[in-house]
Amino acid sequence: MRIPFSNMADASWPECAKCLKGVILDLCGVLYDSGEGDGVAIPGSAAAVKKLKESDLQLRFCTNETQATREKFVAKLQRLGFDISVSEVFPPAPAAIAVLKERGLRPHLLVHNGLLNEFVGVDQTNPNCVIIGDAAENFSYKNLNEAFTVLIGLEKPVLFSLGQGRYYKETDGLKLDVGVYTKALEYACDLKAEVIGKPSPTFFQSVLNDMGLQPNEVLMIGDDLVNDVGGAQHCGMKGVQVRTGKYRPSDEKHPTVKADGTVDNLAQAVDMILSQRRR
Amino acid sequence: SGTFYKRALKAVLIDLSGTLHIDDTAVPGAQEALKKLRNASVTVKFVTNTTKESKRNLLERLHRLNFDVQENEIFTSLSAARSLIEQKNHRPLLLVEDSALEDFTGIDTSEPNAVVIGLAPEHFNYQTLNKAFRMILDGAPLIAIHKARYYKRKDGLALGPGPFVTGLEYATDRKASVVGKPEKTFFMQALSDLGCSPGEAVMIGDDARDDVGGAQNAGMLGILVRSGKYREGDENKISPPPHLTCDSFPDAVEHILQNLL
Repeated sequence: MRIPFSNMADASWPECAKCLKGVILDLCGVLYDSGEGDGVAIPGSAAAVKKLKESDLQLRFCTNETQATREKFVAKLQRLGFDISVSEVFPPAPAAIAVLKERGLRPHLLVHNGLLNEFVGVDQTNPNCVIIGDAAENFSYKNLNEAFTVLIGLEKPVLFSLGQGRYYKETDGLKLDVGVYTKALEYACDLKAEVIGKPSPTFFQSVLNDMGLQPNEVLMIGDDLVNDVGGAQHCGMKGVQVRTGKYRPSDEKHPTVKADGTVDNLAQAVDMILSQRRR
Repeated sequence: SGTFYKRALKAVLIDLSGTLHIDDTAVPGAQEALKKLRNASVTVKFVTNTTKESKRNLLERLHRLNFDVQENEIFTSLSAARSLIEQKNHRPLLLVEDSALEDFTGIDTSEPNAVVIGLAPEHFNYQTLNKAFRMILDGAPLIAIHKARYYKRKDGLALGPGPFVTGLEYATDRKASVVGKPEKTFFMQALSDLGCSPGEAVMIGDDARDDVGGAQNAGMLGILVRSGKYREGDENKISPPPHLTCDSFPDAVEHILQNLL
């Protein structure tokens, strides 16, 4: 006689999929690889997203994307063939703007030009904090120095880092991510940044709240072992790593984070989830 | 009663900026004091953490200020980097200021398999750092000339190499080898061609942590001078405290002549 698991915390992957009520997907490295132009969709991912939407599972997308506004990069994903809408996507910038409002802060921005429109309407005069995002080409010595100068001029310096990733994969190779430059400023100013975005628990919680689900009812699928999988596990969710995007074989021997499962790609993950639920 | 053991002093290491001179002004009496030290037959070496100036530039300034110094008596963090590169047979990607490249003449830099980072704002751009990142991820060692957080420019403080080295360490999960003061290797390298052990040497400098702390940690005696970047109470910031804290370089030399020889 089969005794069903009362909640997902009791089961391991892939059996835990039976008790799932929701799935959170990372975007870059799971659905697509960024690069020139729109980048390239990862084979099988568009169909996998479609299958998830046709199932009874709730679906959200949680990303540390900060090179473009939500509207712009959802439009890009739609062009790449993904059925996805703005209300399903959770990037760091809107969360950061909410924090600024809460705490009465005015930011100096060290971000990609494509993100500036998210901050229209935010008072940026006489800044009393710095927000750093994935600025890519804008990570010039001059711009970093400006951010450094703002911080050391403040009596109470505050640095917000939109994510803390070390690197990500583009079609022409691995590129340094925001976390590297955040560490540089932390060292220069002898301060600690506040992370907005994965793997901040507050960030994951805001997605769970939107879904109306408990952590143990939700699975996170991502390519970043520490920020996607580790971050989700830290909140009580299960986390599965895909071998696409920034995945490296050494991830499977990580000293502190052990994924609940490792799959070749999103298509395989979704097939395994749905097949568990059909039994 | 205390028994004082006189060490056999063979070498004196002397910091440059802040100790012998402040910018383009010599510390009063320093030229004379140096002469006296040379007459006492100890070997003298001039040590500095510069990454922007070649030995030739430093020498020119010292000569302008009437210091009797030879080029082969100057040992910089660039020299320490060069020693390390030669020892390990690296072919370096040199992220250093153009004016410092001169000190690496003769080193093969084709198909680089190591990354060397000094103070080089024009190299701290996204493309170059990405290139360095990928090399390190593929196994290239990361060598930092030093890890200063920032330095003083005419228009205020500006980021030093330290933040970028720290960022690359985070990106690659690897640790840089730091060759400048206060690293022990710097002092060991400075003494290596003098044929004397750290116990037979004394360091004079104005930076409690980098000059005196570093030297004492390597087994030398350290004398802290109250010139240059020295600030009230610096002598209390290192443990053990300096062997001696005195007003300036000429006082340090007097102490050596009277007590250590």
